[in-house]
Order: sequence, then C-alpha cells, then structure tokens
Amino acid sequence: MRIPTKDEAAALLERMLTMRRFEELVIHMAGKHKDIGRNHLYIGHEAVGAAAMMALETGDLAYTTHRNHGHLIGRGVDPGKALAEIMGRAGGLNGGRGGTWHIADKAKGFHSTSAMVGGSIGLAIGGGLACKQQKRSRVSVALFGDGVLDEGISYEALNFASLYQLPVLFLCENNAKTGQRPSSMLAANHLTDVPQALRIAGLVVDGADAEAVHGAVHDALERIRRDGVPLFIEAKLERWPGSHQLKPEFTTGITDVAMAWQPERITGAYAVWIRKHDPILRYAASLIERGQLTRDSVLAIDARVTARMQEAQAFAESSPYPDAADAASGVFA
Amino acid sequence: MPTKSFAQALVDALAYSLAGDAAVTIIGRGLTGHGPEADAERALYDKYADRILDPPTSEGVMASVGTGAAMAGLRPFVHFGTAAFAFEAVNQIVNEAGNAHYMSGGQVTAPVIYHLFHGIRGGGGPQHSHSPQAMYANAAGLQILLPASPADMQGLLRTAFKSNNPTLLFSHTKLLGVTGAVPEGDFAIPLGVAEVKRKGKDITIVATSLMVHEALRAAATLSAENIEAEVVDPRTAVPLDRAGICESVRRTGRLVVVDEANLTCSIASEIAASVAEQAFASLKAPILRVARPDAPVAFSPPLEKAVTPSADKIVAAVRKVMRG
Repeated sequence: MRIPTKDEAAALLERMLTMRRFEELVIHMAGKHKDIGRNHLYIGHEAVGAAAMMALETGDLAYTTHRNHGHLIGRGVDPGKALAEIMGRAGGLNGGRGGTWHIADKAKGFHSTSAMVGGSIGLAIGGGLACKQQKRSRVSVALFGDGVLDEGISYEALNFASLYQLPVLFLCENNAKTGQRPSSMLAANHLTDVPQALRIAGLVVDGADAEAVHGAVHDALERIRRDGVPLFIEAKLERWPGSHQLKPEFTTGITDVAMAWQPERITGAYAVWIRKHDPILRYAASLIERGQLTRDSVLAIDARVTARMQEAQAFAESSPYPDAADAASGVFA
Repeated sequence: MPTKSFAQALVDALAYSLAGDAAVTIIGRGLTGHGPEADAERALYDKYADRILDPPTSEGVMASVGTGAAMAGLRPFVHFGTAAFAFEAVNQIVNEAGNAHYMSGGQVTAPVIYHLFHGIRGGGGPQHSHSPQAMYANAAGLQILLPASPADMQGLLRTAFKSNNPTLLFSHTKLLGVTGAVPEGDFAIPLGVAEVKRKGKDITIVATSLMVHEALRAAATLSAENIEAEVVDPRTAVPLDRAGICESVRRTGRLVVVDEANLTCSIASEIAASVAEQAFASLKAPILRVARPDAPVAFSPPLEKAVTPSADKIVAAVRKVMRG
C-alpha cells in the first residue's frame, strides 16, 4: 500500500482541515443567516474525502450526494463560491439554482450532485461509460453513503458496471448508527457482500484513518486505470454526534487542533467521539508522533485554512441574490 | 421523394447520427419493436457494434447511465421499449436529466435521447397502453417529440441529436409500419414548429402522433359533408408551437384537439388552454377535446375500442362544434 510522502501528508491534513473549517463556517452562517437551507455536514468523514480527492487526477469524474461539501472542498472547489451557493447567492457555483444539495463544479469533475438517495450512483456509471467509450484512462468515482444500498438502483448500477467492466470506483462512506435509526438496513452481513455477489471486488477500510484510505483509494484507482474494472471500497465511520435528520447540531464545537497533542483538553459529553473518531485530530497526532509535522506546523496550516475561510465568508456575504426576473430562465441549453 | 417506413426513418436517423458523431451511443435493443419492423435495426448492429449496448432489464440505471454519459460528453440514445417501462426510471429522467442544466446554473448539459413506444397497440391492457407524454411535459426541462410520419421521425430525431437538451422521443407502436414520403439524404426539422398536415377553412383539428392519421381520416369524411377541416400537427409537445396553433384557429374560428392520452392534464388540455388564453376572441364555438376517458385501457377488444380516440369520434366532435 502506498504511504504518503511528508509533503503529501501535510497536504492531506490541510485538505481535511479545510473541509472541517468549511463546515464550521456553514454552521456559523446558518446561525447568522436564517434563509440558509438544511445542510448535511461532512464532519467526521474528512479522512475519506480528502484522501480520495487527493488521489484523483485531472479529468477524473466524481459524483456525490447531499453530503457533498467535503468532497467538493476536498477537490479544490472554491470555498467562497461553494458557500455562496449554499446561501443561494448569485456568486454561487450554480448561480443559486442548486443550493447545498446540488453544488456542481464541472471544471473540477463534479457534473451533478444529486440529493436523491441513489440519484448519483447511476450517473457515475454513465460517467464511467463515457470514460470507457472515449478511451481515456479516466475514472468515475461514485461517492455515496451506506443508505444508498437500500435503493434498488444501486444493484442495477453495480450490475451494469460489472457487466460492461466500466472504470468506476464505488466509494461507500458507511457512517452507521450512533444510537439513532441506522442509516441503512441490509440483510447482507457485510456491505461488501453486495458488490462481491456481482463480481466486483470490495474491501473495507477504516474511514477515520487518512493514510489507510489514501493507500486503498490510490491502489484501487491504479488498478481501475490499468485493468478497466470497477472496484468497491467501504470506508467505515463512526457517525459524528452532531449529525441529525433535520438540522446538524454543533455538539462537538469548533475543532481545537491542540487537542491532538493535549488530549486533556478533550472534555464533555462527546469526548469519546472526539478522542477516538475525529479523523483530523487522529491524523495530526499521528503525524506529530512520527515526526512528520511539528505542533507549530499544524497550527500554521490551521491559520492558513482559517484565513481562507474568512475570505470565503466575505465573498459569499457580499454576493447579491440572483435577479428574480431570471427564476425561470436557463431550463434549456 | 422516396418512401420508407416510420421504423426505417428511425433507423436512418440513427445511422446518420452514428456516422456523423463518434459520441453517439445506443443503449437498448429492439429499437424497431418486435413486430414486422423488428429487423430494420439490424444494419446498425452490424456496423456499430462497439457503440451499441444491449443492457440488462434495468430501466433506472439505463436512464441514469444515459444522463451521466451525456453530461460527460457522449450522446446516448436510450431505448426503453414500451413507455410504461420507463416508469421505473422517472426519477432519473425527471429529477436528473430534466433538472441538470437549470440546477447546475448552466454548467452542464445532458443531451440524452430516451425512446419510448407509446399508445394503444391492441391487446396491451392497462400496463402496456400508456401515452405518458403529458406527464413528462409537466416536468420542466425535457424536450418531447411526437412524430406522426416517417419524415417527421427522421427530421426531428436528427435535430434532437444536435440539441444539447434531454429529449423524450415517443413513437406510437402502430406507426412503426406506416410508410410515407421522406426527403432524400440527411435533413433536419426544427423543434417547436407545427405542420399543417391538411389545409382547411372551417375548423382546426390539432392532433399528435398516431392521432394525426385519425384526424386526416376524419377530415376526409367531413369534406364529403362540406366541412373543410385543417389538420395541424405540433410534432413536438415541448417546445409547443402555440403561435402556429393559434394562427390556424384564428383563421378557422373552431378547434377540436385529439390526444390518445387520458383526457385530464393531457397535451390536448394544454393546447385547449393555450388557445383559450391566446385566441379566445377568434373562437365561434367552445373547444372540444377528443381523448381517452380517465380509465386504464382494458384488454378485452370491445372495451379497448370503446376508449380509443378514432376518426369517428373526431367526426362526431367536429359536427358538434360546427353546430356551435
């Protein structure tokens, strides 16, 4: 399995922290601006999205779901334009026509975000077919949660990808349950039983371990490009305790990166999740322990990310609402 | 002009499209049905095997593969067969394909074409006799083609392949074997332009798909009664040539609209409403719609016949409108 270099490790941590600080900004803005929509935050998933997006090459396609912010930000989508879209502003990536659920950035390989459970997995197969027919060594990545496997189209999509041997990576973020209703209800013992029944190799990885995901995704993409086969990765996660059906609750507060080297700062009702399952603190602690990063360099990364988020906020808040006269324009190309 | 069947016109439009654009990809088999025209598609498979997929019976993923591949640069033609089969894929067609351009703020286009066999075929029963075009017209973002002749099939489909929007192409099962004159070579017909299929001064009959032929038969009968009906075929439901339809009504002052779909919220309803809004002052009598009752289509032949719009029913409606 491929291990990130020192520079790659720092870049990986920076992507993860960018995703986290973006979501913290979204929560802050949701409190400040009442017209901001419902949001499904990516907190706790950062290791998966950052590692996967870092492994993609230019031209690769990615299809995401209602929990899309992290994927987009992780692939380098402009956070100001993404936030403006979440706020329904004219300067948003979709000009305010999509909102949080449908952020698209074609230039970054995100043609569409579907907020239908199972909406994007089929589109990703179409992307894979295009990659194959166009004979370029591009890969299409289907990003989805375990709940998608409750939907019938998942089985059609896996079957289609297997029959036609399409270059598709199925990357399932299984954020299981934390005392609430489970996010999926499958009769199969393991999620990977499903793709394997259709002759798609599947493997399970710890979704809170950035380097494990990085290695698994890197190897998978290499194999898909070489052999033109679909593959399935299940990234297992412990759900962030703020994740609720209607509106996220900011249970764990603003992330304090110093907790990575001062675990005594972790207190309160959600200390177990923060200590054991916060992928950012886990990775920062590991990099410091292995001498790949210093505490000061982690703080410097965080300062850089925070400054970018301030710029993003300023851009989004200064962006006007779209012209109401255009509400019905742009239906057809 | 040479003569060819509706099915052959479909195949020829696909052949021109496959030859002219390497991005054109067909997903589906049985493009020309399973009846006498079934073999018409074979020439395509012999020549373009690498661009024609014979998919599993998975309408949901067929529809989304079409949309996803279209967003990524292909020009897929997805064949569902019987229109009702695509009910399995409504989310993919309406919520993904239809929304794609608007929802992305114009960043992406989804130039996919979905082909559906619609209509009362004879013995189809409640599940295989649907004409669901109005259901899709009620969702924004989908072009809807309703060709009634081989020439319209070929010309409209060629335009759809050059368009950047998702398109639903509805072929009436009973039209597949219908023959007609078709211009030589490759040609295109613009969307949203109605064609006057028969000139007349006394009443306008607007009809789509197979019903155009019933309307023409009705017009021949009415002519013997000194009623000259103008038969207008919008050819596409989205975009709909409201101006062209109203222009005819302004000349004749009377309107009957024919549609094989259920009466309620049909394309005929939309046409009647549009004329009432835009050409009310020209109307000398109330508009009548000839459509199917709001009931499933029964299997039993006399029951099926009872609900199927026909030339006789159109003639009766026209006589009623002429009486005022």
